[in-house]
Amino acid sequence: MTITPLSIQNVSKFFAGKTAVDDVSFDVNPGEIIGFLGPNGAGKTTTIRMALGLIKPDEGSVKLFGHAPGAHAFGRVAFLPEERGLYKKQTARETIAHMARLNGMKGKDAFPLADKLLDRYGLSEAKRKKNKDMSKGMAQKVQLLAAIAHDPEFYILDEPFSGLDPVNQQVLENMVREIAERGRTIIFSTHVMEHAERLCDRIILISGGRKVFDGSTDEALAQAPRRMVIGSEDSRLREAVSPFADHIEDREDGGLTLFLKREADSHEILEKCVGAKIKLARFEPRNPTLHEAFVALVGHDEAAKMDEEVL
Amino acid sequence: MVSLPQLDMRRVYLIARRDFLGYVKTWGFWLSFFMPFVFGFMGFFMSGAIDKIEPTRYETILDETGQYAQPILDLKAERQKKIEWKAIETVLEFTNMSEEGIAGYKTRYESEGIEGLLSDFEGALPSSQIDKIKNSAQGNTRFVDPPNTDLEVLKDYLKGDTTLVIDGESQKLNGVLHIYEHEGKAKADYWSGNVNSKYVQRLAEDYFEDKAEQEYLASGGLSKDGLTQAKKGTTSIQAFDPNKSADDGQAVTKADKIPLIVAAVASGILWLTIFSGAYMLLTSMLEEKLNKLMEMMLATTRFSEVIFGKLLGVAALTITAMLPYIAIGIFAAILYVVQGPPEFMTQFKASITPKLIIFFFVFLILGYVFYGALFIALGSLAESMQDAQTLTTPIMIVLTACILVVPMAFESPDSPLLTFAAWFPLSAPFAAIARLPMDPPWWELALSAFFLFLLSIGVVALAGRIFRYGVLSGSGVKGVTDWIKRVIFRRKVKA
Repeated sequence: MTITPLSIQNVSKFFAGKTAVDDVSFDVNPGEIIGFLGPNGAGKTTTIRMALGLIKPDEGSVKLFGHAPGAHAFGRVAFLPEERGLYKKQTARETIAHMARLNGMKGKDAFPLADKLLDRYGLSEAKRKKNKDMSKGMAQKVQLLAAIAHDPEFYILDEPFSGLDPVNQQVLENMVREIAERGRTIIFSTHVMEHAERLCDRIILISGGRKVFDGSTDEALAQAPRRMVIGSEDSRLREAVSPFADHIEDREDGGLTLFLKREADSHEILEKCVGAKIKLARFEPRNPTLHEAFVALVGHDEAAKMDEEVL
Repeated sequence: MVSLPQLDMRRVYLIARRDFLGYVKTWGFWLSFFMPFVFGFMGFFMSGAIDKIEPTRYETILDETGQYAQPILDLKAERQKKIEWKAIETVLEFTNMSEEGIAGYKTRYESEGIEGLLSDFEGALPSSQIDKIKNSAQGNTRFVDPPNTDLEVLKDYLKGDTTLVIDGESQKLNGVLHIYEHEGKAKADYWSGNVNSKYVQRLAEDYFEDKAEQEYLASGGLSKDGLTQAKKGTTSIQAFDPNKSADDGQAVTKADKIPLIVAAVASGILWLTIFSGAYMLLTSMLEEKLNKLMEMMLATTRFSEVIFGKLLGVAALTITAMLPYIAIGIFAAILYVVQGPPEFMTQFKASITPKLIIFFFVFLILGYVFYGALFIALGSLAESMQDAQTLTTPIMIVLTACILVVPMAFESPDSPLLTFAAWFPLSAPFAAIARLPMDPPWWELALSAFFLFLLSIGVVALAGRIFRYGVLSGSGVKGVTDWIKRVIFRRKVKA
């Protein structure tokens, strides 16, 4: 029987009378890559801390590998917290080996593994460098390697992309893909939709402490309004396409952005324009993004918070 | 119900090892480690040089009366002899010579002078020590004959416009004691360009006071020598202790103080170890928090394992850091005992009782765990060293006050305050050991240790909660003050 790595049921948490997490439930199934999305203060980190047993929920229950979080799960979980830091007096290889040993690996295996990982991810020169002497980017990579060195079954990564430059974000994306290819289960929180869109099988969206969406990426995208950019010199265009759109926005280039009705079909729009002999300069159906899905699900205010964080 | 914390000893060891090696593998640690030896060697080899820091000062007496210069010089010579003898006596006491032996040397000194005795010490003492005795006897003040009988001319010497020639070298005159008669009485002024130069002025003042005293005694037909002789004949009092074996004569000797010294030293070492250990824990905890690694660790380690790992690692670190002091202390104690009379060794051995050994380690462990857990908890609440200092100030005051039990135990081991301190958990580790020479019953010591043990469990449990809160909340001291305002004073707190 396959054990669910993480099951969170009706979990709530209050701090000083304020609700941080409100009746959140979800299961993480083996082999899934889950994006845990939401703006800062949405309750992502609190949920993750409850999942690991670092803090106890005020209501509801958490099961990690079928039991309440605790020592039984030590060594089976890789956790990268949002707050980054390293023991400054250790070298990179000591840091990785130390965490691997805390997770149950033997010393004679841990040090060669640390060397191998550092070589593999371009940190060979940092092996014997003290953490305090490393650049921020290098230190972040070392911490990530320390968190995952023991290659457990379940990875919980809290904002793993934050603070990384684009090159290292790509390296991290590749690492996540490699881990997933080994059949491991991954949940990572982020407020950068593009990462989730590229990597995840499933999205859990949280806002104001409440879960607002839980489903596959395609299902999430389906929540977003479909758009189309259309352009013509013919003044009859707006009138011709308006039956297909909930909302039309004028573009600076003279074209129109159509926010399509659920039942609208782009072929029908094209047929109607051709039938009305409207010469089209542009006809570009646009794929929805997770960001648009998020706006549709939580509203513009919450989405704006997320945009601010990305900026 | 209190449940004992669960521990995986491998993880405890790994955390302890990391904390230990984190400090030991630094240059700073080894510099501090060897510093006591370096300072010891420097002190030993530079003791002679320190004496030479103060330059020789040349003084002269311009005595217009012709009556006082020589008696003042005699007084200086007499004082010089006293200094010589004091230095010799210190050396003799250091070698634990009996009072009779010292008295014998004094008789010889009075007849043969210092040169006669120094030959005895050649070979037995380092030459630097012999030089020190000679130098201390000589002093830094040399009297010379006045180079001129006119005070105005001598002032040019004091200003450095003219110099003396002594042993072929040019030297500046430091001071002139000018003695003259004024309205039929002797009067003296001291001239010097060195405002701190007081030696000659005081010497002259002492001479004139002494002279006045002698003249006063003489007016009654008495003399100062007679007074001195009368004092010599007074009864000396020997102290006896009825607790001592009648075979040993029951007379109180220097050796009887050895158990008090041993207990005071043990108590002092205990205090120093706990104090340094607790402070290192505070620093280590704060560093851990600032490193922001705790959350990641806690996904693979229990809170209790982190606390005990830290306690263990820093304990090993403290012991290592204190090794030089312990080694020097043991060396000095052995030197003192071995060089002393046989009863010193007997008393020393008798002082190292099973009670002392057992309770030293019991109170060391309990005291360290008690104070260490408190410092870990406070360290986890602090956001900076400034925070940490603010939070630990009350405990630091208590801990510092506890060291007062050591001199108290040495002076009054039967003090009721010391007995109370031995029961009071905060001071129990130090006071219980310090009063061991009073031979308190086993049950008293065991019960005192048990109280501390109970309190330590409570403190560790409380520290665990504070630690958990301090590490995860990230709000530090403000979180605590907000909690007090909200829960105790029922006041609204701004987020």
